[in-house]
Amino acid sequence: MNRGLWDRETVAALLLISALPLAVTWLALDGPFGLLRLAVFLVVAGVWHLVWMLARAQPPSLAGALTALALAVLAPEDLGPVALLLSTTFGVVAAELTFGGWGRNVLNPATVTLAFMGFGFPAAPWPDLAIQVGWASWAMLAMGLALGVLPGPVVLGALGTLGLAALTGAPVWAAMPAVCAGLALLVADPVASATTPLGRWLNGALYGGLCTLFLAFWQDAAPVQIAVSSALLASLAAPLFDEISIALWLRRRNRRHG
Amino acid sequence: MSRIWRKGLSISVPGPQPGGTIDRQITAEASLVIPASGDLRVEALALEGETVAQGQPLFRDLHNAGLTTCAPMAGRVARLDIDSARRLRQVTLFHEPGAGRHEWPPVPVDQRDPQSLTEHLRATGLWHLLRARPFGGLADPARRPAAIFVMALDTRPGAPDPLRAIEGQEAAFASGLAALMALTEGPVYLCHRAGTAPVQDAGPRLRLLPAAPVHPWGLAGFHIHAQRPATPEAPVWDIAAEDVAAIGTLLDTGLLPETRLVSLTGTGLRDARLLRCQPWADLRGLCQGHVRPGQNTILSGSLLEGRPARWLLGADRQVTVTAHHPSHGRGHWFLSALSHAARPLPLIPTAALEQSMGGALPAVPLLRAIASGDAETARKLGALSLLPEDLALADYVTGAEPRLSALFAALLERIAEEDAP
Repeated sequence: MNRGLWDRETVAALLLISALPLAVTWLALDGPFGLLRLAVFLVVAGVWHLVWMLARAQPPSLAGALTALALAVLAPEDLGPVALLLSTTFGVVAAELTFGGWGRNVLNPATVTLAFMGFGFPAAPWPDLAIQVGWASWAMLAMGLALGVLPGPVVLGALGTLGLAALTGAPVWAAMPAVCAGLALLVADPVASATTPLGRWLNGALYGGLCTLFLAFWQDAAPVQIAVSSALLASLAAPLFDEISIALWLRRRNRRHG
Repeated sequence: MSRIWRKGLSISVPGPQPGGTIDRQITAEASLVIPASGDLRVEALALEGETVAQGQPLFRDLHNAGLTTCAPMAGRVARLDIDSARRLRQVTLFHEPGAGRHEWPPVPVDQRDPQSLTEHLRATGLWHLLRARPFGGLADPARRPAAIFVMALDTRPGAPDPLRAIEGQEAAFASGLAALMALTEGPVYLCHRAGTAPVQDAGPRLRLLPAAPVHPWGLAGFHIHAQRPATPEAPVWDIAAEDVAAIGTLLDTGLLPETRLVSLTGTGLRDARLLRCQPWADLRGLCQGHVRPGQNTILSGSLLEGRPARWLLGADRQVTVTAHHPSHGRGHWFLSALSHAARPLPLIPTAALEQSMGGALPAVPLLRAIASGDAETARKLGALSLLPEDLALADYVTGAEPRLSALFAALLERIAEEDAP
């Protein structure tokens, strides 16, 4: 059979490989407790993938592991088992599996889960990410871009906006680990982010802009909470950016070709 | 102003690479087989058993007035299978070198007006070499094209270099280009590899389109999309450079070309070859003595879009022989149920997918529209300039199932039906 290798599972596997530096750094810092957290999220996401495979003949995807990793790193601490099960189930099932599995979803399941946790259980404290995790997210972004599985303009748009904000004196650097981990794990998802060149730049820029805005004006918010909220809003706006980008492209084309 | 597109991929052909020499081989048999879905109603102009010269009319198309098909080689009509509804099923010729070449009257330069050129090209069968967009297929003589694209670049893996094909036929090529310029009121675009233009003096009507030699920029579709999008009201035609030289030769000398440059590549071959053979050539005859032992599949066309075939199909200039990979037995029923559910497989936007669509159009929205059968969006994003072959690279890169090009063919058919008056 003559075929290339960029099918869904290859991309998911490459994304997982890019995420390895982040996963290893985070596990080394968090120790056995981190491993347990990761295992719990893996099991919950895996069980739902299995249920959908058996009930709906929907092939499970390695992307479920990526969701579990994002949740383990970014989810609030001290959530009770019920809260954790409920929100993970909501994210994985409602944001991904009901749409037909990874590749057809509109929002990143981890983003939806985290937003659900934030709204549903506001008392749970958000984790404080170490600076090493922040640098490991840079490694994940670099690997993902080099392998071509992360959308370049989204990453560059976000980092560019944040860099500009830092230059103008906004308090961005202190939140770097959370903002970069959010960018790597939630926003720069090839499926849920925008798909047109201009749309991607806008999508990344919106994430960076919202992070800057929240960091400057949202009192008492944890950095991870800010990253998750920005990621949710940026993902929700992605289809709009695609529409804008396509409308502009069509206008330019119509002007040129009549 | 034209821009040199560089976004694309170069896919290398596994197996041996062709050397520098070009052999000439006329196979003992040549055949045209119409698939069961085809509907070509004809009137035979040569009978079974009759000897025909190369270039002599074989049959006339009943649905397209004045359109005939000529014999690709001198030979005897061994089989002419026309059913009771006058539907052509198969024509087979046996080679007989003594039968000579049919001479058409040359067309003097001052008589090359659109009307007589069209009639002459249709009578000699060279009209089949022009392909119309939208929808592909035969060019409509009643509707002058908005532009004609001449492809002097072919970036399909293992494709022969069109410039080598027209080597030594520069005068015929120029004469063919002039004829094409008479056929359209719009421009004639000549797409070539950047740095090696086959014609130096471009004018306002003849425009050079240099392109980087990366796939898919050696296909007409993406150039048409970028320069002059095809619409049902303003169709665009495309033609290969070698076929332009064939038109020039016919007009100047009255002879139809005997051969075309074809490359034989693939993992199933012992040695890859470049050769000149007749249209409809017997692919087994071409491969005989050059294939590796064992089971092989012969494709007419490149690795990306080739179809298994016994005879050289249509305007193909490539034969790919791939070693047959035996399937590893029957998988578990559960795995096969899983892999056959949830079709078409979801597309993940990656850099590879963007590159495979050349970077000239919103690739992911277009492919998603095609996969979901959304004709309106696909049309808006420029699908009418493309043909299924243009999506073959995206199919290859993403391993899409079912193939996007097959979905696109069905979608185009639907649009054509809805558009029909």
